[in-house]
Amino acid sequence: MSVLVTSACLRAFLRTFLIQGSWNYRSLVGSGLAYTLLPMLRVKFRGEPEHLSSAVRRHVQPFNTHPYLSGIATGAVIRLEEEGADPQMIERFKNGIRGSLGSLGDGLVWAGFRPLVLLLALTVGWLGAPPYVVIGLFLILYNIGHLWLRIWSFMIGLQGGHRVVERLRAADLPGLTKKTLAAGSFALGALIGVFVVDGRSLGVGLWPWLLVSVVGFAVGHRVGYAAWRPTAVLTALAVLALSILGLA
Amino acid sequence: MTVVLFRIDERLIHGQVVIGWGTRLRPRRYIVVDDELAGSDWEQDLYRLGLPEDADGEFLSVTECRQRLPELRDDDISTVILTRKVESMLELARDRCMEGETVNLGGLHHSTDRVERLPYLHLNTGEASQLREIVSEGVTVTAQDLPGSRRVDLETLLS
Repeated sequence: MSVLVTSACLRAFLRTFLIQGSWNYRSLVGSGLAYTLLPMLRVKFRGEPEHLSSAVRRHVQPFNTHPYLSGIATGAVIRLEEEGADPQMIERFKNGIRGSLGSLGDGLVWAGFRPLVLLLALTVGWLGAPPYVVIGLFLILYNIGHLWLRIWSFMIGLQGGHRVVERLRAADLPGLTKKTLAAGSFALGALIGVFVVDGRSLGVGLWPWLLVSVVGFAVGHRVGYAAWRPTAVLTALAVLALSILGLA
Repeated sequence: MTVVLFRIDERLIHGQVVIGWGTRLRPRRYIVVDDELAGSDWEQDLYRLGLPEDADGEFLSVTECRQRLPELRDDDISTVILTRKVESMLELARDRCMEGETVNLGGLHHSTDRVERLPYLHLNTGEASQLREIVSEGVTVTAQDLPGSRRVDLETLLS
């Protein structure tokens, strides 16, 4: 890979952080994707302004993806453009991958990883850590995972091209999502446990909270994945209520 | 169980369908009805990546799905049927094959010949009349991107 191409890839990767900057209902992240691809397209179609313009027009068409997994699409499309793949085939690749990246990312990050890190930080906070430690811990842990996911995504996209499916299958993101959700359930249990033994929020006695913990665990265990949204809302409300009781 | 959702959405299998509707309806099978995709293994692989672990995915041509529709509507496996074109859903609905069902409009995006009806729904005149034809086959048509969003009936949408 030439220095020019390497530099274009690096700039394309950095631009994936801004892929949602022009999100809109017409093209979703289509214009954002075109923006991330632009450094590479400029290298590929150097001295061919008409081809460059045509390629940009192709890529501003509606496209959607989870932002943290957008590197998979960006990397793979860079590879396909670099190899001179048929534009129609590139379009079909984008249509096929966009939905999967959305659902994989939504499950792994929004439903799994983010609540997990938040619960861990809250637990540390309830154990007595000052607010800046809680916020700092959340930001550090969350961004380690977030940055790793972005780098990994871009790399496998770039290496895999349209065969990125095989690498994604090998990575088993649904399995990782399942483990993250299980870890989230554990963290929720830990947070409730900390509440139970803490004493600050036990104005109504130990047993009611213990009962709530057991019922919460049982519900989470039985319907966990399907009930993530209502569970998250209930957890937030419970944390709020317990905090008020604890401060009272 | 039966077909729990008929949906027209250009993105087919994606987060709104799998997480948004999937967590509400708990389907065990997603069927994509599209003549091009039914014959393209590599594209099917891309779409299958987005399926939840506990659900199967099938890709059928419109003709194949029409043949299987009575069986699917009477099956024990709860199923979501997805098309990316209004025309494909109309073909399924013809001859009152979907009488009594509801078609959900989930996402048809901007193009030069389409008019915006809702932020996530753009229709051209041909698609609008195809949707009316679907209604004439005894099917209810509503637009709703997510279970928690406002449901808009076809007449309101096209008025």
